Amino acid sequence: MAHCERASKPLLQCLQKTYTKGLPGLQLQSTRAFQSTALAREEAQTETGSQPFYKAPDPATVSNPRLERKLLRQGVAPIGSRRRRVALQDSLNIPFEQLPYQCFQEARKILVADREEKLRDITSMREKISRLEGLSTEQAGGEQVKKSKLRAMELHLEHLKIQADINDPLVKKKFEDGLGDMSKPIYRFLADRKWREYRRKILVQRITQMKVIPDVIPHCEPTLDTKLYFGRRQIQPGEFVDSKLSTEAPKLNVQMFEAGEKLVTIAVVDPDVPNVETDGFDFKMHYLAVNVPISAVNTKVDLSQLSTESQVVFPWAPPVAQKGSPYHRLAMIIFEQKESKALDFAAVKAKETARENLLARALESRYQLKPIGAHLFRTQWDDSMYEVMKSIGYADAEIELRRAPAERLPYKRRNPANMR
Amino acid sequence: MFQLRGVLAPFRALERAIAPSTLRVASYSTSILSSRPVLNSAITNPSSSSSTTLTRSNTTRLLPPTTTSLLNNLLTQQQIRHASHASQGTANRHSRDPAGKRLGAKRSAGEYVVPGCIIFKQRGTKWFPGENCGMGRDHTIYSMQSGYVRYYLDPERHPDRKFIGVVFEKDGKLPTPRNAPTRRRLGRVAVRFDPADLPVNQKQTDLVAEVTAEGTTVGDVPAVDAEAGLRFRPGYMYREANWQIGRAAEKAGITALPHRRKNRWLAWRKRTAKAERVAQMKSLKGSKKAAKKAKK
Repeated sequence: MAHCERASKPLLQCLQKTYTKGLPGLQLQSTRAFQSTALAREEAQTETGSQPFYKAPDPATVSNPRLERKLLRQGVAPIGSRRRRVALQDSLNIPFEQLPYQCFQEARKILVADREEKLRDITSMREKISRLEGLSTEQAGGEQVKKSKLRAMELHLEHLKIQADINDPLVKKKFEDGLGDMSKPIYRFLADRKWREYRRKILVQRITQMKVIPDVIPHCEPTLDTKLYFGRRQIQPGEFVDSKLSTEAPKLNVQMFEAGEKLVTIAVVDPDVPNVETDGFDFKMHYLAVNVPISAVNTKVDLSQLSTESQVVFPWAPPVAQKGSPYHRLAMIIFEQKESKALDFAAVKAKETARENLLARALESRYQLKPIGAHLFRTQWDDSMYEVMKSIGYADAEIELRRAPAERLPYKRRNPANMR
Repeated sequence: MFQLRGVLAPFRALERAIAPSTLRVASYSTSILSSRPVLNSAITNPSSSSSTTLTRSNTTRLLPPTTTSLLNNLLTQQQIRHASHASQGTANRHSRDPAGKRLGAKRSAGEYVVPGCIIFKQRGTKWFPGENCGMGRDHTIYSMQSGYVRYYLDPERHPDRKFIGVVFEKDGKLPTPRNAPTRRRLGRVAVRFDPADLPVNQKQTDLVAEVTAEGTTVGDVPAVDAEAGLRFRPGYMYREANWQIGRAAEKAGITALPHRRKNRWLAWRKRTAKAERVAQMKSLKGSKKAAKKAKK
């Protein structure tokens, strides 16, 4: 053991005791220097110390697989990785403010000072914005100038809000524990960054490689993190889904990374319906709902629970793939409605009557929609497909598609004189 | 700057004219370096262009006489091969001049092709497969749909690759616009099938082995419904099918304990039991032998 550690051990033990036993006044003063909201640990001060750990395991420190399972059965997910939880068990749990490392504390002071500065900037920027808004257009130098100035200032204000919190270790910890409050810009920013690092790349790759992009919609720049669930099973973009599983409408988890609420249109399109007569493929709209509200905090959308009077134009039609047909792509596109205005549901319902060959492109231009999110799953002939077809009354369930016999090149007579 | 370059051009030509002999190059390059400032001054003062040619002639004259004589010797001692010698041919000519590999285009633009038709043979990827085309393991481009061949560039897909594609219409164009839906063919025919043939309803056949004088033959008996009851089966008996016998435990709901590698306590008990059994058998064996010996 190093000398400094040996020397600091009694101090640490003392600090730990004071922290766990609680000197409420002191703690509040020290821990809230950085954050305005209370810590979860502080809120749960009155823990029952008498109960043994295995009876009420703590999701933050549980490391035994059996206890983890017990927690999961209760519906509580353990926080973070198991390695992290084990490390937390051994840690002295000293809050950052009381850690006896001089360099660390000096660094923290710099961070706190920086945050103070950012907060001052935010207030001054707000004042500037309100001042500019108070000015008339002539004084501000024209309507266009005023508009662009305001826009730039608001963007800068958002940037400042993120910068004020981005270096806060507690914010980072909260975000990594999945406890981030999505109504705050910093957590939305962090979530967006995390999504763009990996999940968005995968999504974009799948929808471009499987040609959803030119086939269903001409262009899409996803800004929503969309997760798709059939029952409790999450479907990764492009995955094959069992036909029995997809008879019920899926649930969505649509995470928006911007403030405010949006009204969206959700469409599920199959661009691979085989058409033997034309030797090509048709489209089919499997689901269409308009005026679905989403926001950063209201993420859950259950397609089967949406209102049939004001939202669902076409209810869920289970995807089917005939025996021998190439796999079907089921592309789910989330369109942003223009200026978040509600579409006239009755008019849409009257206009869109047939599911067959209703193109997403047509919807896009007809209702001035803009694709902001996408997801994709695939369907093919499987063991339960015939039953599914029978249960929904699919007409051509007994039809199998076989490869057409290979064409032969037209016979070309060789010129004997030329051959010699 | 452009003007300057224009004025320099004739000097460059002059330099090239002087350059051809290899021996002169070394001294000549140094002369260029030395003459650069002079050249620049000449440009600023066009009337003194004759002075630069003067310096050039000076540098050529500066070559030492010994080097020029060496050059003359080299030129005279060059080896000459007459036609009679050349007609004898060279050794290993065939290894250096192999047969042609018949590479190149097998189908030109606009020709009709069917799936599998080879369009282009090449070494490496001079051409890349575009729409409805594939590439073989020796980079041969072949068609995957019937249609008409197109050779084209697609700068949106790749800035400098050349593609070979197949279009469905005689006057079709490639590359297609980037955001246009892809044109595909189904290439299937609809056939009615019997749902009874689906694997869910399929009856299970039974594998039967028969040992004869020639050896063992394995075959299967025609499938029958398991629900129909006992059947007359090979071996001259009414009995269940082998697969049914195999599933008897499953049907009765008997499950074996799953093997756990980490359960060393159970493993130790099994091991010691086996060792005891072996020891017992050994002792019995010995006693039998001993008894036999005793009888003898």
